[in-house]
Amino acid sequence: MSAYLEVSGLNKRFGGLQALNDTNFRIDQGRITCLVGPNGAGKTTIFNVITGFLKPDTGHVAFRGQSLDGHTPQQIVRRGIARTFQNLRLFTDLTARDNVLAAIAAQFGESPLGAIFRPFHTAREQARRTAEAMATLEHVGLADRAGEYVRNLSYGEQKLLCIARVLATGAELLLLDEPASGLSAGALDNVMTLLRRLQSDGKSLLVVEHNTRVVQRIADEVLFLHQGHLMAQGTAEAIVADPKLAEIYFGGAI
Amino acid sequence: MDFLYSYLVLAEIYVLLGLSTNLLVGIVGIFSVSQAAVFGVGAYIVAACTMSDTLSFIPALVLAAGCGVALNILITLPSLRVSGDYFVVTSFGIQLLATAIFTNWTDGTGGANGLPGIPPPDIFGLPVAETSEFLMLSTVALGLGCLCFWLAMRAPYGRLLRAIREDELAVAAAGKNVLFAKVSAAALAGAFAGSAGGLYGSFLSFVDPSSFDLDASILLLTMVVVGGARTLAGSVIGPFVLLALPQLLALVDIPTTIAAAARQSVYGLLLIAFMLFRPQGLAGEKL
Repeated sequence: MSAYLEVSGLNKRFGGLQALNDTNFRIDQGRITCLVGPNGAGKTTIFNVITGFLKPDTGHVAFRGQSLDGHTPQQIVRRGIARTFQNLRLFTDLTARDNVLAAIAAQFGESPLGAIFRPFHTAREQARRTAEAMATLEHVGLADRAGEYVRNLSYGEQKLLCIARVLATGAELLLLDEPASGLSAGALDNVMTLLRRLQSDGKSLLVVEHNTRVVQRIADEVLFLHQGHLMAQGTAEAIVADPKLAEIYFGGAI
Repeated sequence: MDFLYSYLVLAEIYVLLGLSTNLLVGIVGIFSVSQAAVFGVGAYIVAACTMSDTLSFIPALVLAAGCGVALNILITLPSLRVSGDYFVVTSFGIQLLATAIFTNWTDGTGGANGLPGIPPPDIFGLPVAETSEFLMLSTVALGLGCLCFWLAMRAPYGRLLRAIREDELAVAAAGKNVLFAKVSAAALAGAFAGSAGGLYGSFLSFVDPSSFDLDASILLLTMVVVGGARTLAGSVIGPFVLLALPQLLALVDIPTTIAAAARQSVYGLLLIAFMLFRPQGLAGEKL
């Protein structure tokens, strides 16, 4: 049986830097997989390759047994994989609700002709989509902030909004780039609970995370990446217990 | 009265151009300084068609709008590859090229002397000769233009374009077709500018390259800045205010030899003052 997501033989070089070095792994459906590793291990590069923003020098990505090679980001989202960004990349001049609406797939009225020549249909569809967006905001706990401009949201709220936006795409495999970094303890708990809830909704998650405590709490499986190569794959306990990996991760401090 | 009417007609035509510029520069963030070139092409097409009697006014106007669409897509194509500041330079070059063609292609455009004697519009057999009649025509055009702009901007399309201005990459990550959205915005802006050109030539019955040069493009940008970027109200207010300015200056007793220069200086000062003290214009959002 083919894997849910399979990455094989990825190589990517940026000038003198080998960002990905024969990276191979597969992840299973319905699980939270954490991608860990020291800075510069190639975690975000992997995300960029899977989501079609970066073309690998060699190697393949397959989703549900079908190759994603040469697909545009747009096609990959349609296949069911969407991502968030480490630096959020929210639309700060739009409201929280509009940020979510902007990500909802295949809306009527997204071309000028439809919008101009079928205004009533557009408005009706829009009302339906707005309800959808509100439900998504409700799901991540931002319903009462829907009309707020992003620049007025707290950092924690912005992080939740990123998750709402990626949910709005309708993707089933979510690639989250450090969803918990920089959060206070309370907000951190919120995000972890939310990730678990997404999993029980049937989503699969691939999460880049630095905080080992977060990893231990949410990860069903951990991928340990070092210098663009997969060093180890296993449960959080096994990865944390491995002294060799700890030395790489913490630079020999422990 | 005619004087007031012709001010209104010109202002309404410039509102169409304001919509075009606001859509591209304000909403999508494609900083084009070559909208006057598209405006000019529209004007010359309608002039050529109606003067030679190959097409009557309405089909000629449709043709002008169509050519505006095609031309504006061509002009903004570089913006899909070069971003921001570099595109301004490219767009600047396109505008200079257009002016050179308007000025030197004497067989087609009459060169620097322009094309006199453009017949007044003819709407299904009814001639529109009086300024007051033309005012009705341009008001209908203005209404249609504003309606299209409003409908497109309140739809998901408007939100998509705003999102693109803020973060193209994030829009692509949401699975949206950024290329199509940008090209269609250029097309819509081109249709506005092309038909505005057609109305302009038919109204004045004369066109020459000076109406479609870089100064004209900068005037359009000034209208958007003063009126207000990204809003319908801003696109409407800007042209009315800026076109009233020369009339007001005419009331001040300055020698005719420096009147044109004085007008340009006032435009320049306004642009700087608004950018510094009121970047959102009279009725817009911060650019």
